[in-house]
Amino acid sequence: MYLTFKDLRHDKLKFSALGLIIFLIVFLVLFITGLANGLANDSGSAIKETSAQSFVLQKGSQARLNRSELSATDWNKFKNKYHGSAAKLSVNQATIQKTNNASKKTDITYFMIDANSFLSPKLTSGQKLTNKDNNQVVVSDKLKSSGYKIGSSIKDSASGQTFKIAGFTDNKAYSHTPVIYLNQKQAQKVLPMKTGFNAIALKKNLNSSSKYQVINKKTLINAIPGYSAEQGSLYLMVGFLYIISLFVLAVFFYIINLQKLNDFGTLKALGTDTSYLVKHVLSEMGILAIVAILVSFLITYLIELKMPASMPFSLSLPVLLGTGGLFLLITLISAILSLIKVVKVDPITAIGGNN
Amino acid sequence: MTNILELNHIIKNYPDGQQVNEVLKDISFHVQRGEFAAIVGPSGAGKSTLLTIMGALLTPSSGTVSLNGQDISKLSKKQQTSVRLNNIGFIFQNSDLIPYLKISEQLQFVQKISQKPAIDANELLTKLGLKHRLNSYPNVLSGGEKQRVAIARAFINQPDLILADEPTASLDSKRGREVVQIIQETVHQENKAAVMVTHDERILDLVDSIWQIEDGQLKKVR
Ligand SMILES: Nc1ncnc2c1ncn2[C@@H]1O[C@H](COP(=O)(O)OP(=O)(O)OP(=O)(O)O)[C@@H](O)[C@H]1O
Ligand SMILES: [Mg+2]
Repeated sequence: MYLTFKDLRHDKLKFSALGLIIFLIVFLVLFITGLANGLANDSGSAIKETSAQSFVLQKGSQARLNRSELSATDWNKFKNKYHGSAAKLSVNQATIQKTNNASKKTDITYFMIDANSFLSPKLTSGQKLTNKDNNQVVVSDKLKSSGYKIGSSIKDSASGQTFKIAGFTDNKAYSHTPVIYLNQKQAQKVLPMKTGFNAIALKKNLNSSSKYQVINKKTLINAIPGYSAEQGSLYLMVGFLYIISLFVLAVFFYIINLQKLNDFGTLKALGTDTSYLVKHVLSEMGILAIVAILVSFLITYLIELKMPASMPFSLSLPVLLGTGGLFLLITLISAILSLIKVVKVDPITAIGGNN
Repeated sequence: MTNILELNHIIKNYPDGQQVNEVLKDISFHVQRGEFAAIVGPSGAGKSTLLTIMGALLTPSSGTVSLNGQDISKLSKKQQTSVRLNNIGFIFQNSDLIPYLKISEQLQFVQKISQKPAIDANELLTKLGLKHRLNSYPNVLSGGEKQRVAIARAFINQPDLILADEPTASLDSKRGREVVQIIQETVHQENKAAVMVTHDERILDLVDSIWQIEDGQLKKVR
């Protein structure tokens, strides 16, 4: 550590530049990861945050809710077997507008549920959804950014039906649109033609059935339009960033340590153990990486505070720490090439003036 | 006898294509406490090779090297490192100071990695006329100053043996003579043994014994 601190102190500029590079890469990784997580939430949180484990869909519906159509007969089979652990769900994408402003429309998704089932959302404010034949509905917090408040009226653009916001639930979204929860009676008013429903959500893990397509929650979320493509390309970017940084850092460390090989030879000739030098190189890289990672945590946090609500961004603490840890590991792995050189330096190079 | 270093029948071969290049052929050598010895000889004769064998940097093909009565010719790399740290002081041709350590830290570092009781590094540097340079980095020092720091670094651990490979090669003759004088005085005052490889005939009046190496053979000429 003695050598490490002296070296860092002496070559401030060089090490700051290296630290800056690590910081930029970690920051970019965190930012893209946050965006990917944010988009994932924005795409599937209304499904993800339910306590459902598996979903029963019509056979051949390819895990797509909107392609599945179940009837009352189907429902009776599951209702009797699972009681409170089963719930009907219909999902329908639509457009709403404020009653007094027809030019400002918002795309939304209706979740049509039994208000007494486990699919009924938890509220952040206002009043719960009931099964009464009224116009009081619960909507996602996401609608707040379009200017909706408790008591605001919502007009369904297609049917002309109006609802009043009774309560808000947290940022629930489906396929990047805010979710509006309707009970069965309200659903009838919006979609009078619809007789069946899309799926049965089960709190239990049901493996398979010959008459239905039974899928788990993850499969259902992956089949939400756009979800897999978005997540796939973002995580591909993150993956490449890890690989790129491994190589970039390895080359930088290598060059920096190559310049110092003669010094390492001298140090060995003077009686410094190779293990001391290995620790020196590793702690130098480790300190740089840790500082850079902490700075990028801070910057990411500040940016997250300033992010507009319309730009989905989400980084949980485990993901943040995981990314930081992974990066520290990558930094240390990329030092291996340099370490091999350091271990191989022959102290004889110090003597004889042949350097 | 108070021989600090004794070499007996040292042979060193280097592989040279199909053949072997026998650089040192049956060399014996000794240096006593309080003695300053010089090794001279033509370029390529094997002076540096001999010095690296004395300094536990290189293992001879055969023969024994005893330092304070201990055979150091067959030690492991790790044991060699420890011998170099605690029993030998090196002065290299280009002084080879560590660029990111201040002058006083050059010595502090050596003290830090060894288990020997620390003496006052700054006092030693002051004695060598480097008081105003304690907090400078090596790059601002003159060649002579650097070489004096290297001497201080070689002595800081109070080794019994000092090895110097052409310590004057990068200095003008006046500076070079001063540097050798400092080595001579310290060796005599502190009762150490020192071996110096040199090309420079003009400083040979400062040493106590002179050895000549030629064709792989070493003989004492004075
Ligand atoms: N690692 C090595 N591998 C093979 N041959 C070597 C090696 N090191 C030195 N030699 C050979 O050993 C001989 C002696 O080299 P050495 O460096 O000891 O000479 P020297 O007397 O110090 O010369 P100079 O006065 O030029 O410094 C040379 O012929 C050199 O080519
Ligand atoms: Mg030489």
